[in-house]
Parts: sequence; C-alpha cells; structure tokens
Amino acid sequence: MTALVLLVPVLPLLAALAPLTGVRAPGLGIAVSAGGIGALACAIAVTVDVGSHGAYSAFSGFLYVDALSTFFTITVAIVVTLAGIGSIAYLKTEERRAELDLLQLRLYAIFFALFAGLMLASLETGNLGLLWVLIEASTLASAVLVGLEAKARSLEAAWKYIIISSFGVTMALVATLFLYYSATSLALSPNQRLTWPALFAHAHLLHTDSLRLAFLLAVIGYGTKVGLAPMHTWLPDAHSEAPSPASAMLSAALLNTGMYAIIRFQAVALPELGRYTNRVLLVFGFASIVIGALFMVRRGNFKRLFAYSSVEHMGIISVALGFGGVLGVYGALLHTLNHAIGKCVLFLTSSELVQRWRTRETGEVHGALRAAPLVGGVLLLGSLAIVGSPPFGLFLSEFTIVRAGFHGSSLLTFILLALLVLAFIAFVRSTAGMATGEPQPVDSETTAATSAASAIPLVAGIAGLLVLGLWIPGGLNDLILHSIGAIR
Amino acid sequence: MTPVLAQIESLSAASTSGVLLDLSAVLMLLCAFACLGSKLFDRYVTYYALQSIVLAFAAAVVGHALNQPDLWVLAVATLLIKGIAIPLATRRFLLDRLDLRRDVAISTGLSTSLIIGAALTAFAYLAIRPGTLPHALVASAVVPISTAIILLGGLCMVVRRHTIAQLIGWLILENGVFLGAITLTATFPFIVEAGIFLDLVAAVLIMITFVSGLANRLATASAPELRGLRH
Repeated sequence: MTALVLLVPVLPLLAALAPLTGVRAPGLGIAVSAGGIGALACAIAVTVDVGSHGAYSAFSGFLYVDALSTFFTITVAIVVTLAGIGSIAYLKTEERRAELDLLQLRLYAIFFALFAGLMLASLETGNLGLLWVLIEASTLASAVLVGLEAKARSLEAAWKYIIISSFGVTMALVATLFLYYSATSLALSPNQRLTWPALFAHAHLLHTDSLRLAFLLAVIGYGTKVGLAPMHTWLPDAHSEAPSPASAMLSAALLNTGMYAIIRFQAVALPELGRYTNRVLLVFGFASIVIGALFMVRRGNFKRLFAYSSVEHMGIISVALGFGGVLGVYGALLHTLNHAIGKCVLFLTSSELVQRWRTRETGEVHGALRAAPLVGGVLLLGSLAIVGSPPFGLFLSEFTIVRAGFHGSSLLTFILLALLVLAFIAFVRSTAGMATGEPQPVDSETTAATSAASAIPLVAGIAGLLVLGLWIPGGLNDLILHSIGAIR
Repeated sequence: MTPVLAQIESLSAASTSGVLLDLSAVLMLLCAFACLGSKLFDRYVTYYALQSIVLAFAAAVVGHALNQPDLWVLAVATLLIKGIAIPLATRRFLLDRLDLRRDVAISTGLSTSLIIGAALTAFAYLAIRPGTLPHALVASAVVPISTAIILLGGLCMVVRRHTIAQLIGWLILENGVFLGAITLTATFPFIVEAGIFLDLVAAVLIMITFVSGLANRLATASAPELRGLRH
C-alpha cells in the first residue's frame, strides 16, 4: 500500500527525467501525459483501497491518506492527465514555430512534472508542516512555468505571482505555527501536534485564541493560493501569461490544493470555533464571487476572463463550505471536481485559440465554430458548462449548493443566485461572440486541422461534464460521502 | 505538565538564555526598521545579512537552552545561507550586474513609512496579548516582536515598488517567521524545518533569475507592452 500511495506523486515526477533521454517536443509531451495517466490509475487504486479499509497512515503520519485526500488526488490526477495530453499539441506547435527553444521545451517538461508531482504529494501527507513545504514548492515550480515564455509580460506576471503567493503562503506557515502552539498543553508528541489526524481527534481541546488566529491566517494564507478575493490579484496575470496547459493546471489543480488545505484547517477549527469558521469562509467567498463576476463583465483578454471565472468558482466553493452541513460540503466537493474538469477544458481550448489566431483578445476572435468546428463547439459547450447551465455537472453542484444555502440563510442564497446570473451573462456574452460570426481570413499555416492529441482532452472533458450532469456514479457518491465523514 | 512544556519554560524571561533571546529579537526588530528607513540597495542587503546573523545566534541560544541538536544545525544553516550566501548572491548577481544604488521607487516618504512601522509594532503588541498564547510563554517579548518583524517586512514590500526591495522585504518577513518558529515551536520535526529552508533557497534562486531576466527585458521592452497587465 505504501508503495502504491507513493507511486501517485512519483510517476509524474519521473517525467521530469524525460529531457535526459534527449527526446524532443512530442516525446516530452507524451512523457508528462504518461505520468498523469499513471498517477490517475494509482490514485484510483488507492481510493478503492481506502474505501474498503479506511484511512491509511505510514511514517508516523508523514504519509496519510483518507477519503478526502483521495477525492482531491483523483481530481488533480484527472487535471494532470488532461493537461498533459494537451501539452503534446502545445509543445509540438511551439517547436514548429520556433517560439520556444529546446531548453525552454525541456524546462516546460521538467517543471510541469515537478508541479504535478508536488501537488499530488501535498494531498497525501497528514503532516501540516510537510503540507506547507510541498504547497510552497509546487508554487515555485509553477512560477517557472508562468515565466517560461520569458517575455517582459510573462516575467512580470511570474514575478507578481511568486512574490504575492510567497507572501501569502508565509502567512499560512505562521498559521501552522499557531495551530501547533494551540496544542501545546495536550499530551501529544511534537510530531503528533503537527499531524492532522491527531489534531483532529483532539480538536475540542485546542486553545481557542491561538486556534482562531491559526484559522484566520490559514484562510488568508492558503486563500492567496486559492485566489480568494482580495488576495486574488496574482491570478489573472499568471493565468493569462502561462502556457495554456499550465494555466489549466494552475486553475484546475493548484487552486484546489489550496482549498484542500483550508478544508483541513476548518475541520480542526470547527469543534472549538463553531459557526465562526463558516462566517469567515462566507465573507471571503462572497467577496470572490463579486470580484470575479464584476471583472468578467469587462471584455478583453479571454484567458483573463477564464481566470476571473476561477476566482468566482473558488468563491462559490468557499461559500458552499461556509453554508456547511453535509449538503454544503457535498456541493463544495462536487463543484470542485466539476470546475476542475470544466476549467481544464476551457484553458486547453484557449491553447488552440491562441495558437490559431495568435491573439488573446476576445474582440479579435470570431467564427471559431466555422473555422475550427471542434474547438469552437467545445468553447461554446464548455462556456455553457462553466456558467452552470444544465445538463452539465456544474449545474448539479451549484444546485446542491443553493439548496444547502436555503437551509441556512435565504437572503444570502438569493444574493448568490443574483451573482450567478450576472456571471452567466458576462461570461457567455464574451465567448458566444468568439464562437459565432464570420471567421476572418487566416493564412494557410494556422488553419491546420485540430490534431488528435489536442482533441482527446477536449472531447473527454466535455463528455465527463455531461455525464456528471446527468448521473453521479455510485462510487463517486460514496467517495464524497466518505470524504465528508473524514472531516466531521 | 508535559515534558515539552517543562522544557519550554526553562527559557523563561529571567534566565540568561531568555534574556539573550529577547535581546536578539530586539536587534532583529531594529534591523527591520533600519531597512525600512534606508534608501540604498546596498544597505538593504547589509541589514538583512545582520538580521540573519542575529537570527542564527538566537537559534543557537534556543538550541542550547532546550538541548535541541536540530536547532544547532538550523543555526549553522541560517548563518551560512541567510547570513552569507543570499546577501552575497544578491550583491553579485543583482546589485553589481544591474548597477543599482539608490532606490527611487518608494511610494511613501521615509518618515511616513517609519511612523507606519511604529504603528504596526504597537499593533503587534496589542494583537498578541498574553491570553492568545496558552501558557505565559517564556521569552514573552519574542512573539510580539516576531509578529512586528513580519508586519515590517510586509510593509517594505508594500511601500517599495522595486523588485529587489520587495525581495528583501519578503526575506525580512521570513526571518520574522523563523524567529517566531524557533521560540513557539522549538520542537518542530526536523524534516519540516529542513523543507521550509529548502523552499526558501529555491524561492530566492528563482526570484533572482526572474529579476535579472526582467531587468534585461525591461531595457528593450516598450512601455505599452508593460501597461498590458495593469488592469
């Protein structure tokens, strides 16, 4: 079992060795996607095992896997797989156009692999200190991806990203220190005081004041990674300047990793602080939805549009956690999975759009449906899915969250609904204009047919969202319920 | 009383180690203020190096008082990496190569930032009341002072727009966290401490690369290209 759990992060990490073999663009892409597929397979095997035998712990809690970690591991592994396959097409095109030199292609593969491996590893540790170390390390690996194109804009975005996230994540370290300190009077060994299951078992005995500080700082610190407003300012720049498959990883995997850390802290703080934790999450959640929705209204760079949509969705997940209860957490987890798949598809679509039209401006792209039926179709369907229209998965999860809201405060729920409508209009107005209309004449080189490697993740993602919208598989339902059981 | 607690209380404010620890904390706070009140890049680096050396000393004091060999390792690593290697690398790869002397990208006057810094220090004392901590800790001055250093580091990052000044601000903030860490959690598992350190080193390396890359591009990049990100 230990070997299986360790394989989940190690397989993607192995892809970092691919450049040593001297392969070029397609080979590098295939290596990272193979790592993703391997991680997904192992993650499913671990999930099945945890489902039947319960949480698994080794190396005095440094390795700890329960249902919640397996849920997030599977989500991240799906994203890594889709983005990995998307990387094949991305790297091929960049190599053909000589926009990236061989060193940059290799750096892409190495840091993509590191980023994926470190994120998956951070989901499999019970030690909150190690969790911090791994999340910070994955931030650093992703910062290199953001700055990869080495233009002034991407370097500036990467700088903004690394300095704001480092600042935020340092706050999360202070939070970890205070949590550790809040357990001082308990009869636990120093290592146990940093280990999540031990803290969770003694949650009602922790010192209230330092626990409150720890929770607040954790929401601010890890919330910076999640992109909760007002700590979201790095997010639109980093997402729009990173290579598109890397943007998909940032938006659909990294943000979730931060949310996972917040969920762990909330679970520990809940018995002692009670509704206080929910109120904090509601405040940050609503702030993010408002900011996300308002900035989506403005037209411009479509990758920024997707990025603000991520801010909005992270806000929705945070609000769902704030509503709390089984229904609220169920909605939050389901929404996490749906958003991850949907946003991954959209960013991979944007990769095709950017490479075909050579622009990131919404106003300069028209008639994607005619010029490239598959890309245009996925853009349209993906946009409808991400704003939460039926029959896609996000409709179901947003519906669950709204139901959870009506159990608590109807006023807040109505505000949430109004904001969702605003986001719907703002988002679809932009993307519908890109998909429809007359395509402008483009030179022959850019009208090359969509390659199989770039079509697979798009079609698979949309199909997955459709399935999740119509039917929640029994295994997924059990997994989410077990995850809720692990933190209550 | 658990053995850990008994151990921590051996660091009480009256003992020699407690006094030395408090003294180091105050010196580190002064370094942060000095950096906040300076306008020369070279000074920033000097004050950061001084602060790191004091931090290494503080780690050694705690390591001695609590008899924790881990902390000795940490003290040596702090001295070598934060006290010597990072300042050296910053000077050689950034200040000398880019020929930086005077920082002009400061958004508030020096006296204003010093006053805000003083207010933040007072706030740190108000926020970390003795009740916040489960046990009347020991070197009770250290926790509010480390909080103040964290806030001052943040202030440096906020009022300075130059990337190198922001980098130094973040490093000062990190030192504040470390000062808090060695007293609050002297018994942190070593593997975690080592990981934190490794992350710091990697972060500084990547930041230095970005800053020098950015400086190279900025010389040629046109202004409209940069304005693209400002909305």
